[in-house]
Amino acid sequence: MEAWRQTFYHTMNMFNVLIVLYFFIGNGMYTVLMLASLISVWLHNRRLAYQGLYEIRDSVVTPPVTIIMPAWNEQSIVVKSVRSVLKTDYPNLEVIVVDDGSTDDTLHRLIEGFGLVKMDLIYRPRISTRPVRGFYLNPDLPNLLVVSKENGGKPDALNVGINVSRTPYFCTLDSDCLLERDALLRLMHPIVKSPVNTVVSGGIVRILNGCEEKDAQVVRVRLPEGRLERFQVVEYLRSFLFGRAGWDLLGGTLIVSGAFAVFHRESVIESGAFGRDTVTEDMDLIVQLHRWAMHHGRKIRTSFTSDPVCWTECPKEFGMLQRQRRRWQMGLFQTLWKHSEMLFNRKYGVLGLLSFPFQVYIEGVGAAVEFLGYFMVPVAIMFGMVPPTLYVLFVFVGLMYGGFLSVGAVLLEELTYRRYPSFRDLMTLLLYAFLENVGYRQMVLYYRFQGVVQFVRGYRQWEKVVHVGG
Amino acid sequence: MPFLIEHITEVVFSILVLLFLCNGALIALAIARRQRRERFFQRIDELRRLYNPVISDLKAGRLDYAQGLAALRGITGTDREYIWEQLCLATTPTPAQIPNLRRLCEDLGLVKVWQRQVSGQFDVATLRDAMARPEGVFQLLARLRFILRAKSAENLGIIRHQPSWPLLLKALTDPHVDVQNAALRSLAAIGDPESFLGLVQRLHDVVLKPGTRLSLRAVKAVLVTFPLAQAPALLPSLQHANRRIRFFATDIIRDMVDRQAALDQDFTLDLKVFPEELRELFLTQLGFDENPDVRARAAPILARIPDPRSAPLLLTLLGDPEWFVRLHVVRTLAQPKFQPQVVEIARRLTDANWMVREAAAQTLLTFGQLGVNQLFQDFLSSPDRYSREQIADTMQRRGLVPNLIDQYLESRDGKEKQVIEQLAQMGKTSYLLALLASTPDKELRRKFLLDFGHYSEANIRKWVINLATREPDPELRALARAALQRA
Repeated sequence: MEAWRQTFYHTMNMFNVLIVLYFFIGNGMYTVLMLASLISVWLHNRRLAYQGLYEIRDSVVTPPVTIIMPAWNEQSIVVKSVRSVLKTDYPNLEVIVVDDGSTDDTLHRLIEGFGLVKMDLIYRPRISTRPVRGFYLNPDLPNLLVVSKENGGKPDALNVGINVSRTPYFCTLDSDCLLERDALLRLMHPIVKSPVNTVVSGGIVRILNGCEEKDAQVVRVRLPEGRLERFQVVEYLRSFLFGRAGWDLLGGTLIVSGAFAVFHRESVIESGAFGRDTVTEDMDLIVQLHRWAMHHGRKIRTSFTSDPVCWTECPKEFGMLQRQRRRWQMGLFQTLWKHSEMLFNRKYGVLGLLSFPFQVYIEGVGAAVEFLGYFMVPVAIMFGMVPPTLYVLFVFVGLMYGGFLSVGAVLLEELTYRRYPSFRDLMTLLLYAFLENVGYRQMVLYYRFQGVVQFVRGYRQWEKVVHVGG
Repeated sequence: MPFLIEHITEVVFSILVLLFLCNGALIALAIARRQRRERFFQRIDELRRLYNPVISDLKAGRLDYAQGLAALRGITGTDREYIWEQLCLATTPTPAQIPNLRRLCEDLGLVKVWQRQVSGQFDVATLRDAMARPEGVFQLLARLRFILRAKSAENLGIIRHQPSWPLLLKALTDPHVDVQNAALRSLAAIGDPESFLGLVQRLHDVVLKPGTRLSLRAVKAVLVTFPLAQAPALLPSLQHANRRIRFFATDIIRDMVDRQAALDQDFTLDLKVFPEELRELFLTQLGFDENPDVRARAAPILARIPDPRSAPLLLTLLGDPEWFVRLHVVRTLAQPKFQPQVVEIARRLTDANWMVREAAAQTLLTFGQLGVNQLFQDFLSSPDRYSREQIADTMQRRGLVPNLIDQYLESRDGKEKQVIEQLAQMGKTSYLLALLASTPDKELRRKFLLDFGHYSEANIRKWVINLATREPDPELRALARAALQRA
């Protein structure tokens, strides 16, 4: 009995130490990222004054780009999204919509919406995919092509798009997104200006809920009415403005949102294209590109830029949010597991020594540690292993630190882009930056923990997030 | 142990207090920043309201210059140079507005400020002024930043300040790549012929010196904006031992030529624009260069040289072992003067590379009916399945099918019918039938039913069944039924 008691006490102590370590290392890293982002985003914002965006638009040497939009059961929003994309200000632009065997009216709405006709064109697959059913074109809209294929998942749809595209770069765009007119020009800017082969360039995804739209463009930015959506606005600001911008400055970009990113086509094909063995194909591809470049001695660069904006609807209901977060967490684990050779591998530099371990221990395992901490620490208190005062203080520190990081993200937004023009919106964002840590954070943590459990159980299903749209 | 716990509690409490203060500071900063920006924008808006009409009139030459200048000089404050800049360069000026805008910026002293900033120099007055105020020291430090240098280089380009080109050329060696990029763009905007050689030298540096932070694409983008008259300056680059330099030089001339050709389809590189030495170089060396990229990029230039040797050389390149050379040549031949080469081009419809096949089909279509006839002839007679597939693809993509249907009704020699037959045999009838389904022309549908109604091709069968069951016209319905029986 005594032996069991000792084991229990030891385990609890170990776990408490783990929690404390996770707290300090994780938040320490977040603070470093926040400072790095402050520098990176602020500098980038100042540089916009002379970046010569329109010279890129008018130049004959600007490379053509294909926007690939995979769509599966997106009947409510797909036509609006394609209209928004067709208005993109970019020379030599092609748009390919890949209908991934939708069971709703997606294909029919596209045919009706754009006057498309079925054509029997040649399909030359360089990447193996599920069979293509047909091509739809309107001779008066030569830069739009709709491909209908058998259902094979988002990565498969993207691979069909890559096979059909002919341009040196392609941009992946979720079919529920609205693109700002100059977003692609901005996204291509780091590619055009870089002396190194920039294989990935990612932009920022912002939340469309609550904004006013006209002709498939956002004309007035406002905060959404729903609390759940407002929490996500703060979360997206934190994730994109200081998470990704910070890693970009440190040279450790491992995640770029596939909802809106430009890729170098040949590099993607040579590296093996979008894999079907993870549910976060965007992160998987970026890690795969780094490995491919290392193994083949290629010098590549990935870039994250904070001013090209793509607007997307965030989940309005808990159920959809749960699906989304569960998938993200499970995909994170799948990707990290698949590419585990990078962990603490010096050959990958910052990526292997800092970025990959951060994703493994803080974003991956950390979710489970933090979630279990909410139950284990009270148990430790019950057994007198931790003073209750310390626990209460520690909880407050956790909440305060979470608030600090979220307020930092709101401040970063305020220092740079100020997309939310009303003072009331700013105050609301600051309020939600605090409120987020009480209830919402724990709920998301629970969803992420479910993702961890799904990964351990070998679950591989892609969970669809349904948008209300209109 | 209790002693340690007590200390941990104190430490955690201290962290809590610190975090509380940090949070407060960040919130205060966010609110202060918002209020400060709002005040700034209110001021700018007010100034714009007051002075934008003055600036617009000055730019358009509608206002007495001295009067307008005096009004702008009436703006006070330590940041008035910044305000002037904001007001003058708020919108991109039209070419007609640029001379007045340039004069205005010169007379307001902005040009001198920008020039000083680009070169990283400060006059005594600025230094004294900066040192006299506590915030001036920070402003001085700020002036050392690359952002100001880059912005100033950009501004000199916006107003096309020609005398500044040597300064901008020097800025190409600035330690910061942003300044180099801004200077590049401004040099392109100014377009001074004398700066061209300096830019070519920069191109050489970027190619030959590893670790240069400027992108080749950025340098090339600037060089191609210069007129074709600058091409002779690229002569040493075209003869350079480095194959990449030869490639870039050829490609730059190709872009210059393409730009001219876009304005005038019949444009030729006569001796006035393209000296003998350059012409010979292309005809005797670059067309045979060991670097296939050079051969590929030389093709569009060769096509514009009015010399009896150019067409045979292009035809030789049409059989180049590298597919992308053939691709460039086939695309180049899409000019009316190459119509006599239609058969040679049609041979590329059986090329081993699909991109060359596709380009050949598209080039043929640029020759009008002559090209269409050649395409149809190859479609009907070619034993190469890939060639036929490619032609069918191009016919659909390039909108030939509606014309085919129209001509099918009128056709006397039956060639269109054969083409449709071939399409049906290949199972490429979706577009054709979609057009037939939407046409109000009963005669066309009747003829199609009689000719092809009995075909077993899946799409045709489906269309005929649909007619046989749902067509309101009794004659067509009866014909469809008969066709089904025949099938």
